[in-house]
Amino acid sequence: MTMDTQRGRTDPRTARRPKEVWPAASGALRSVWLERARVAGESIAYVGQRWPTTVVVWLLIGAALALPAALYLVESNLSRAAGEWQGRPGFSVYFEPGLDASVSTGLAARLRAEPDVSGVRLITPEQALAELRGQTGLRDAVEVFDGLERNPLPVTIRATLALGSSPDRLLAIAESAGMQAGVAEVVIEKTWLERLAAIRDVIRRIAVIVAALLGVSAVLISAASVRLAIAARLAEREVLALVGADARFIRRPFLYLGFLYGIGGAVVAAALLAAALMALEAPLTRLFASYGVDLHLSGFDPMFLGVLLGCGAVLGALGARLAAAQSDRPP
Amino acid sequence: MPGIEFSHVVMRYDNGTEALRDVNVVIPEGSMLFLSGHSGAGKSTFLRLVLRLESLTRGRILINDVDISRLARRRIPAYRRHLGVVFQDHQLLPMRTVYDNVALPLRVARVREREIGRRVRAALSSVELLDKDRVLPGALSAGERQRVGIARAVVNRPKVLLADEPTGNLDPALSESVMSLFRIFRSLGATVIVASHDTGLISGMGERIVELADGRLVGDSAA
Repeated sequence: MTMDTQRGRTDPRTARRPKEVWPAASGALRSVWLERARVAGESIAYVGQRWPTTVVVWLLIGAALALPAALYLVESNLSRAAGEWQGRPGFSVYFEPGLDASVSTGLAARLRAEPDVSGVRLITPEQALAELRGQTGLRDAVEVFDGLERNPLPVTIRATLALGSSPDRLLAIAESAGMQAGVAEVVIEKTWLERLAAIRDVIRRIAVIVAALLGVSAVLISAASVRLAIAARLAEREVLALVGADARFIRRPFLYLGFLYGIGGAVVAAALLAAALMALEAPLTRLFASYGVDLHLSGFDPMFLGVLLGCGAVLGALGARLAAAQSDRPP
Repeated sequence: MPGIEFSHVVMRYDNGTEALRDVNVVIPEGSMLFLSGHSGAGKSTFLRLVLRLESLTRGRILINDVDISRLARRRIPAYRRHLGVVFQDHQLLPMRTVYDNVALPLRVARVREREIGRRVRAALSSVELLDKDRVLPGALSAGERQRVGIARAVVNRPKVLLADEPTGNLDPALSESVMSLFRIFRSLGATVIVASHDTGLISGMGERIVELADGRLVGDSAA
């Protein structure tokens, strides 16, 4: 170490920082965990003593977590619904009017023989009209048809693909059916699926954006709340620094506090979602049933709850770390 | 020589106030020193520099032959674990019991709970407050709080004991008993530095007195 003792200046080019004044005493490992458990207990007590503030923080973080979590559930259920629907896509073959019945029965038989086709239904014009009569909202159309001399509805074949068959196979079979003489049009039933996929994609993107924004909000809520706790315990921090506590020791109670805020917020979010699911499940099931999809809301399972609690804990602790970092500078 | 050495120490605060001006003093290990002087003389700054609560402007402070002014920030907590500090305003945590206040330096140092209990009881016994271990500081008198502060300062068996106006709020009898405690800790090997403006009290102690005035060392009874 080069030192100018006359003026007491140190040459920074040659000087080395000293390591320690006295040998460091090593702490007992068991004591470290006991100390952590004690600090955790104190943090829980702190949260309990200030329960009105705690409840407000939990509600704020809970609301911030609930929306992206809800969007995730919506997206995953839409995916599942689309997946189920996608498992049995199909097409309709419309024949030219007045065609001999043997043509349509022949095509129906050929389609039934296809291993990738799980169901074939031949619908005569009479059956089609009867189906129309059974559907509400189409009474005017049926009355128009009744006024005509003959039933204008064509013979139709509705074919459903077997589970697991690829969309390419669907296209190939439909194309083959379209080449049959007497076929006026083949309609592949995928429009609804495409719309569903588009909606699902939009929801997924919105969920990501909302999750990012509200995740930041949750971190900031936790940070602001922990900052208040730090301000309230400023004297304690100073005393701890004076008796030799390092930054980690000083910030530990506040990290635990942020963790508790985050976990509590996640529990609130789970409760909000459970309530929302209970309220929405019946109407949504009816809505999807009208599209022929047997929907049962899923995704709200132990794995989902675990991830939700984990996200809450991480975001809460992150906010606490942010708040602690601003006041880490020891006195 | 191991101990504390102030060498050409200058401390200037950001507002331009020069709290210490070219102070040179050597305090041998295991000795006791009183810092005297009027308010603003630089006594507290002297102690704050030893505590590394302030960074000096010029000069160096050697403790155990190590320049503490150049200690890396991350090494300061470990350094402070070897110091004991007594403040005039006690600096006790109001929401923790006397026991927990005294145990604080040991918990920071990760001492085993059983050892903590033993040492805290010994420290409280030395200041005659063993029966108040479950009491909150708010329920104690000023003198009792000061003794709790002393117990906390000595519980980790510090190498250096610093006291800033430790008798400021105490009556003469209690002040003398506190000073006697410091002597006991000195006899156990600690280097004790006490800042006090109570010249009547410290002159009767028969210990070394260093006098500061306007940041300058103007008197040293050992000189």
